[in-house]
Amino acid sequence: MPLLEVRGLRTYFATREGDVKAVDDVSFSVERGRTLGIVGESGCGKSVTALSIMGLIPKPPARIVSGSIQFDGKELTQLREAELEKLRGRDIAMIFQDPMTSLNPTLTIGTQITETLRRHLGMSAREADRRAVELLEEVRIPRANERLKDYPHRYSGGMRQRVMIAIALSCNPKLLIADEPTTALDVTVQAGVLDLLEELREEHQMAMIVITHDMGVVAEAADDVVVMYAGQIVEQASSLELFDRPEHPYTEALLGALPSLEGERGREERLASIPGRPPDLLDPPAACLFAPRCPFAGLNDYCSVEAPELRELRPGHWVRSAHPASERAAVAV
Amino acid sequence: MVVNPQQEELRELVLTRTGGGVDAGAPIRQTSLWRDAWYRYRANRAAVIAGGLFLLLVVYVVFAPILSPYDPYAVDFSQAYQPISWSHPLGTDQYGRDLFTRTALGGRISIGIGFAATIAITGIGILYGSISGFVGGRLDNGMMRFLDALYGLPYLPFAIIVTQLFQTVNFWVMVIALTIASWFTAARVVRGQIISLKENDYVRAARAVGARWYRILGRHLLPNTLGVLIVFVFLELPGVILGEAFLSFIGLGINPPKASWGSLAQDGRDVYLAHPTMILIPSVAIAWLILCAFFIADGLRDALDPRTRET
Repeated sequence: MPLLEVRGLRTYFATREGDVKAVDDVSFSVERGRTLGIVGESGCGKSVTALSIMGLIPKPPARIVSGSIQFDGKELTQLREAELEKLRGRDIAMIFQDPMTSLNPTLTIGTQITETLRRHLGMSAREADRRAVELLEEVRIPRANERLKDYPHRYSGGMRQRVMIAIALSCNPKLLIADEPTTALDVTVQAGVLDLLEELREEHQMAMIVITHDMGVVAEAADDVVVMYAGQIVEQASSLELFDRPEHPYTEALLGALPSLEGERGREERLASIPGRPPDLLDPPAACLFAPRCPFAGLNDYCSVEAPELRELRPGHWVRSAHPASERAAVAV
Repeated sequence: MVVNPQQEELRELVLTRTGGGVDAGAPIRQTSLWRDAWYRYRANRAAVIAGGLFLLLVVYVVFAPILSPYDPYAVDFSQAYQPISWSHPLGTDQYGRDLFTRTALGGRISIGIGFAATIAITGIGILYGSISGFVGGRLDNGMMRFLDALYGLPYLPFAIIVTQLFQTVNFWVMVIALTIASWFTAARVVRGQIISLKENDYVRAARAVGARWYRILGRHLLPNTLGVLIVFVFLELPGVILGEAFLSFIGLGINPPKASWGSLAQDGRDVYLAHPTMILIPSVAIAWLILCAFFIADGLRDALDPRTRET
């Protein structure tokens, strides 16, 4: 049985004009010790999916309309708030995008690390302090012992993200959700943080969900990938398979938008972008949501009339499109 | 010496940069929030002077009655209306009581009531405002509409009614009277702070590690409102002291023979032509305290909430 199994998750936000379908029928699972990457552009529902798992969506206006989230044999959508609180930080931990604002400026780094230890593991103040030093050393903060008493403003962005990782790891969670863990960091720091995450994941034998809009991060960190678009999963495969044989036009476009240092087409070339904008999730059309931006949608009327189902093209490779790459080739031949 | 603000900023920048670097060498002197605040406060000369004058007033109020050879309540008509002299630095009143001693005692009461009522106002404001802001939603809406209704209550008539409800008007009755219709703004200030603070990422991060609501409120939200609240206390203080002085002046204050500055001024009102010092001295004391509080509040705002400074 997988560690985390999400089935048919729908999270809607109530607005004055109606429900915004931020996450619409999303299913995936994460095996123990593996890393799942969730990719997509801003507003595609990546973060809301993660927050739904954590039970941290802002209620109201958000609510989980249907679906199940099975974690380690527990149905998270049915848990009461007090039970969720015990789970958070201990079994499921989360790292947020912006380390500059994720630490409380009025509390010392030490206080913020020990907070979790004392809450979940019932450690005494002294034990927790000792453990906090170990954790800081584990995420490679130099002179951890002294820096425990520092306030966050004395830490750089990369160091703060390391502290966030230390806090997340403090109780040896089974699952770590990293929501854009490197987006707010300098490029030079990004790789270091990613490597650290991967190393610690292995050491602590955690499963991990990495949420990102950066295909490079996925390539580096993820075993399996879910590509989301407009609240839906449009493609799902192992990382190798996805980069090797992308099927969905959107995935192809995302990969095509990756900047390269030594582009075959020369350096002066402009960055590729995907024309158009994602659909309004307030009242999405009953059609393929990617159709307006899809270069292949004109081929028949099907795309603008009926929404394609997620289907398994190859074992483990799921696609929601009427024009996956492999079938296009067949048509052309 | 006035510190060049640009130099100051540069120093801060260098401190954070070198402190934040991965390979920072020698340990760097800790700059705590409060020390930083103290540096900024010191840069405001008016606030420093006001702070000194305020302390002077407090020292006078605390020690003058202890050191004074006169009984502040002993009536001796032979000594009535003494002018200012070495033996009576502020003269005597109509009963021959030493005004230097009585003004200090009155100051204890005025300042005491002022601070007690301000703290009560802030306390109620914290309680009401933090519940309203933290819970949010319908409860927040209901509590705020209730507050809107209360805002219509006139402050002084309500204070007067309270003083009339009790047999004797003592210290605590005055505190209640001054608090009962003046905590609404405090509640709104706290609510606003809590609402804006609870959207912070670190609150979400705290929730993500399973922190419970009282921990989030007590550890992550309220301490962050402290700076604003301290400033609020000193901004609120003059109004409260003035309110107390007014009630005492119209004879609704603390019962004689005890006196506050307001009732001392009232004593002097009847004879203001013959003995103007009797009304002038308590008035100056009130003005002294209020001005000090305003300048201190100004300095504290610069010191504790530096964002407002960047204009």
